[in-house]
Amino acid sequence: MKDRTDFTLTGTINRRTLMMGATAGVAALAMPNVLRAADKPTLVTSIRSLSNPYHAVWKTGAEAYAKWAGLEHVTLVSEGNSEKGIADIKAMLAKTGGNMVLNSDPNDTPDARPIVEACAKAGAYVVTQWNKPADLHPKDFNPNYVSHIEFDGIESGKTIAEILFKTIGGKGGIVALGGLISTTAAIERKKGLDAALAANPDIKLLDFQVANWKSTEAFDLMGNLLTRFGDDIKGIWAANDDMGSGALEALRAENLAGKVPIVGVDGIKTAVDAVRTGEFACTVTSDPFWQGGMGLAIGYNAKIGKFDPTKEPPEHREFYGKAVLISHDNVEEYYKTNVDAKPEIDWNDLWGRVTGAIRA
Amino acid sequence: MTIHTEPLKSVSDIERTTLMTFLPGRIAAVFGGRRWRSLAPLAVLIVLCLLIAIANPNFIELRNLVRLANSAAVPLTLAMGLTFIILMGSIDLSVEGTLSVSAMVVVLLAANDANGNDYGWWAVLAAVIAGTAMGLLSGLVQTMLRIPSFMATLGMWFIGLGLSVYMLGGSAIRLNDASIRDLALHRFLGLPVAVWVAFAAFLLAAIIQYHTKLGRHILAIGGDEDVAKLSGVNVTRVRITAFALAGFFFGISGVLAAAQLGQSHAVIGDGRLFAAVTAVVVGGTALTGGEGGVVNTAVGVLIVTVLANGMILLGISPYIQQTVQGLMIIAAVALSLDRVRLRIVK
Repeated sequence: MKDRTDFTLTGTINRRTLMMGATAGVAALAMPNVLRAADKPTLVTSIRSLSNPYHAVWKTGAEAYAKWAGLEHVTLVSEGNSEKGIADIKAMLAKTGGNMVLNSDPNDTPDARPIVEACAKAGAYVVTQWNKPADLHPKDFNPNYVSHIEFDGIESGKTIAEILFKTIGGKGGIVALGGLISTTAAIERKKGLDAALAANPDIKLLDFQVANWKSTEAFDLMGNLLTRFGDDIKGIWAANDDMGSGALEALRAENLAGKVPIVGVDGIKTAVDAVRTGEFACTVTSDPFWQGGMGLAIGYNAKIGKFDPTKEPPEHREFYGKAVLISHDNVEEYYKTNVDAKPEIDWNDLWGRVTGAIRA
Repeated sequence: MTIHTEPLKSVSDIERTTLMTFLPGRIAAVFGGRRWRSLAPLAVLIVLCLLIAIANPNFIELRNLVRLANSAAVPLTLAMGLTFIILMGSIDLSVEGTLSVSAMVVVLLAANDANGNDYGWWAVLAAVIAGTAMGLLSGLVQTMLRIPSFMATLGMWFIGLGLSVYMLGGSAIRLNDASIRDLALHRFLGLPVAVWVAFAAFLLAAIIQYHTKLGRHILAIGGDEDVAKLSGVNVTRVRITAFALAGFFFGISGVLAAAQLGQSHAVIGDGRLFAAVTAVVVGGTALTGGEGGVVNTAVGVLIVTVLANGMILLGISPYIQQTVQGLMIIAAVALSLDRVRLRIVK
């Protein structure tokens, strides 16, 4: 019995020693890398989580750019925790001595300020996306805060609405599924829908209902809307693809899939597949692959002096990126280049997707 | 001391009967008391149907009735499981976690777009077993570690949710097995197969409740656990079995939900707990246990489903639909609870 205990203990100690040794070994291996990278800046991506497809693609875009540029790349994940997100960035700033380029999707709007301030103080270059307070501007942190990128929800909502209207022949009734009432994206996309409706008087909005971004809720809702309006529904506008796919399944249960076109936003795989089969008329995506790579590219080019942020026009400092439309016309092409293979992006074309300055 | 408590108690009794139960209690008494009260949910359902049908005749169209049955399928199966727990005077908050685990299992084991598995109906079996196991675990935790069902199942909720987030990697995974999808898409005698499955679940639950010893023991524990124990009921075993049974029903509803949506993601269960508890309570099963049953719950599920359908048919603004649902819960509980017998309100 004693022997056995001893044996187990020996095993444990050995394992522990082994692990410690391995850690030390890895650290030793990593050391020269850090030293080697000392002259070249480190590329840093800070995102919310790797458990959603959007940010997972974002990371592959960042890695693709880092590989193309021949630079070190580190991904920081905040797991939805703002404090962790900021603390990790500060730790990276300390580790690199400020010799880094950060592309960040701040977990929450107020997070952008401490992130930008820390980067400016350390001399690092930073690009933020989606979330920042309205009174925080890149031009106030020259030259370190290079750019802020967003995508215009009004434009997305309008674009998909117009394609839907065209698909159903310019007249008839549609129903719309909105996102969580309190979110900016939901409000903006609905504004876009309203704008498109105003320009197309022959299209009638039969009903606008809220499914809170969820396919399950959209599924139940769509069944009820079919009862109320029946064959009057010629098309479905959904504020995101997940709700659109819930509506699609409700149609499928009634043998209507493919007969009533749906449009959505996000470009999730389900929706892209549905565009291929003709069940969706289109979807738009902000292209997270581009966001992940180009955010770093803009920051890096500013850092190495390819352009001077202080001399750039306002629409290069705070701008709406161009959303990519996936419709019947380009879906096969999109599938080949984005789903089957990694997309090819011209990383030198820094401003190619600028559609204009962000509305104040 | 005892001499003083007696008169005090009766005074508060008088107060209770005159004040708290003044309106619904009186009305109920006039119409025949308990008997009327037990029929209240059914009456509510009939009145609701009539009102909606008058406002929008589309409501009684065959197509709409089929849709109603279809959207009631998942909540009905869920609520069947939950009824047993509430009858026992306990609560099962793990509904959403268990449902998402079983939906995750069926999608990952059947043909899907994320891995190469294709086990067909074995996946369904595995999903139901996974649900049952989750319930069994809730029961064991509750009885063996002596943790109140509220906390034990709250824990199971998040364990289940975490497990499916991890396994699904946060994304939605498509269910490509045509025969499982047929649960939602294929029709038998005009109704989707899922509706028949839900109906079978209802029959099974009814048989368990009214014709087995387990059903009677559950009711006895809900009525008074100490009395049940003294009468020789093995409370621990009944509790564990009841939670496993609830997990079994949650497992089936997870499969149905995945089949209806053609996919599974971690949040597939979102909002289902609230809907299920509402249905059980609106049907007239008391949260204190010992009163009501699966037939009540079936009526409750229909009320909730018809109301949701009716509000859309009547074009009620999405902004106030939730408020209407909240009002209905309070009204239903007020109508169906026997307040004269209710001694304390916690």
